[in-house]
Amino acid sequence: MRRVDQWYVRTLGPWILWAAMLALSTATLVSVRGEIEQSHAALTLLLVVLGGSAGGGRPLGYSLALSGFVVIDYFFQAPYGSLAVGKTLDWVVLVAFLASAFVATELLARARGEAETARKRTEEVASLSRLGSETLRHARADDALEALSALIRSTFSARWCTIRELPDSKHARRWTSAIIAEDPRVAERMRELDERMTLAASADAVADVHRVALATSDGSIVIDSLVGEDASSRIEAFGLPLFVESRLAGMLIVGGSTQQPIAFAPPRRRFVATISYYAALGLERVRLAREAQDARELREANRAKDEVLATVSHDLRTPLTTIKLLAQAAAARGETAGVSIEEQVDRLADLVTNVLDLSRIRAGGVPLDVALNTAEDVIAAAVSRVQGVLRGCQIVTKVDLDQPALVARFDFVQTLRILVNLVDNALRYTPAGGSVEINAERDGAWVAITVADRGPGVRPEERSRIFDAFYRPRSEVPDAGRAGLGLSIARRLAELQEGTVEYSPRDGGGSLFTLRLPAVDLNSEKFIESAILEAFGT
Amino acid sequence: MTQKDTILVIDDETEIRRLVSAALTEGGACVLQANTAAEGLRVAAAENPDLFVLDLGLPDQPGIDVCRELRQWTSAPIVVLSARQAEAEKVALLQAGADDYVSKPFGMRELAARIEAQLRRARIPLRESPSVLKIGELTIDLPRRIVRRGSRMIRLTPTEWSILQTLAVNAGRPVTHQDLFNIVWGREFGSPSHYLRVYVTHLRRKIEVNPAEPRIIITEPGVGYRLEP
Repeated sequence: MRRVDQWYVRTLGPWILWAAMLALSTATLVSVRGEIEQSHAALTLLLVVLGGSAGGGRPLGYSLALSGFVVIDYFFQAPYGSLAVGKTLDWVVLVAFLASAFVATELLARARGEAETARKRTEEVASLSRLGSETLRHARADDALEALSALIRSTFSARWCTIRELPDSKHARRWTSAIIAEDPRVAERMRELDERMTLAASADAVADVHRVALATSDGSIVIDSLVGEDASSRIEAFGLPLFVESRLAGMLIVGGSTQQPIAFAPPRRRFVATISYYAALGLERVRLAREAQDARELREANRAKDEVLATVSHDLRTPLTTIKLLAQAAAARGETAGVSIEEQVDRLADLVTNVLDLSRIRAGGVPLDVALNTAEDVIAAAVSRVQGVLRGCQIVTKVDLDQPALVARFDFVQTLRILVNLVDNALRYTPAGGSVEINAERDGAWVAITVADRGPGVRPEERSRIFDAFYRPRSEVPDAGRAGLGLSIARRLAELQEGTVEYSPRDGGGSLFTLRLPAVDLNSEKFIESAILEAFGT
Repeated sequence: MTQKDTILVIDDETEIRRLVSAALTEGGACVLQANTAAEGLRVAAAENPDLFVLDLGLPDQPGIDVCRELRQWTSAPIVVLSARQAEAEKVALLQAGADDYVSKPFGMRELAARIEAQLRRARIPLRESPSVLKIGELTIDLPRRIVRRGSRMIRLTPTEWSILQTLAVNAGRPVTHQDLFNIVWGREFGSPSHYLRVYVTHLRRKIEVNPAEPRIIITEPGVGYRLEP
């Protein structure tokens, strides 16, 4: 009953008020009729008309104008108490009054209408910005979609709102906000409309045509245009296809009931077209989050694979040790096979290390300990590392010991690996008795370490490929111990430390591999400072 | 190896244990064997061996824990057999009390050399540790803080001397970057990446016969440095 009271107050209130004002003004003016002219009365009544049309709109304004017309004629024009008009001048007054009252009412009503439209627009904008912030504010895409469906539902004063993915996508999820009475039939109806509208709307949905599925009051589903002006304005539910860059991503469905329909007049439809972007955005966020999750799982799987590989290589080393020890024991007894078995074991162990390294590099799992190191330190370590595989070749290192030590920023272990791979590669193409030269020098912002051999070199057409994993020059005889990983690993390890490995033909024949690492000038760093402090005994 | 050295080989791989033991016995040592950590610790407590050869991949207990347990009551050298290449693990092992390590697949000569070096080091009681170290032509006189090649004096800066002294006291044993840094610069939590490696290069240029192929200060990649006596 309270709502009914309010309706009376809202609608009838202004009529009663302004009718009373008209009566009061008339009574007051009649009591002083002898001392005023009819134009005074006309002006006073005009004020009442203006007030009435401002407070009660067009109908009240026109009614008051007509009433004022009659009041002036009856009470203020001779003969008093009669509707007859005595003089022509009286007609002029009456018509002027009516005209000004009508014009004023019309103008006021228009202004009110425009103000109303502006207010609605403001509300729409506020609602849209709320939608926007709801989509963005939530950390999880799921929460954003739930908040969005609740907001859309309350905007339309609907009973339920569902944002859903299409049933044919692998993950068909939905986010629903609903006020459903305990009545299971209502929930049943919601599910039914959800399915039927999705089927109807997604069947021939095209991104650039604003189509909407409507559940009309007679229970049928029709496809309508969102921008159409001649549409039925009260419906049970509507379903909107959601697009992300022309791809149909899902549906937005808003439903009321037959008793409580949804107002869906044309201005509302334009608003709906806009909110569909937000819903589509929400769905896209869910999809991206899912893809990120999938990528995480892939990475996890990759890491697991790497771990398996590490374990396998670890498990391989133990039997290799047994074979190596047995081979050495055999060699000690004078069996010549022992020596070659030992060599093969070392090569196999190298291969295991290489495969594991490559997998680590690919998975991004190489731990780097980048520090200030000197070129001669790592070169010396490399030379000592390859002593076992010299096969009669020799290694000549050329480091100028009269110059200050060449300092660079690099990871010692990985750089040692690069150099060993380069030297190992050079030795492979060096005939017995030949030599491999290692040189180090400052080259601009780099410390360049070169490994040079007098082997056959690399043919121009193969130069771009020698750093590919598992690539071996065609000229090479297939050889089980060499998987062509050394150079690939060398280059990748160098790049991880912001260095490079490059090939160039050597003057006079052979190959020249250059490893460049970021040089460090100790003179410009704190080293000189600490050296001075030390010299002065602090 | 002298007759009196007792070596305990703890390894669950029967074949490796047998081969290593045979080679060490042939070298003149008295060899005990254990195939689990528990058995190893039991035999160690009963026999008090002079050196341990410890495999890291024991089935019942991580090798690093065995290291720590042994270190609680014995200072006998521990040489570790490691199947992993990770340098971080080696550093952790040294920190846990291991004295040296060899990586699988290792050769017997390499292992025997490491064991020999450790035994030699351990044979000298701590308070009688050598005050003067002779490596080829080089003489390191610790109390007098003098380094000579033949009769020629070599001038070292205080930092260089401090590095050399630390390595000499631990001769034959790898000293980690962190340990070296802590001892030389006297700070617990400093970054060992500092200029340590540059100082070592300078030191090598002064004391090595051929700094390009160092024979005295050996780099243990990713771990630290070792002075080869």
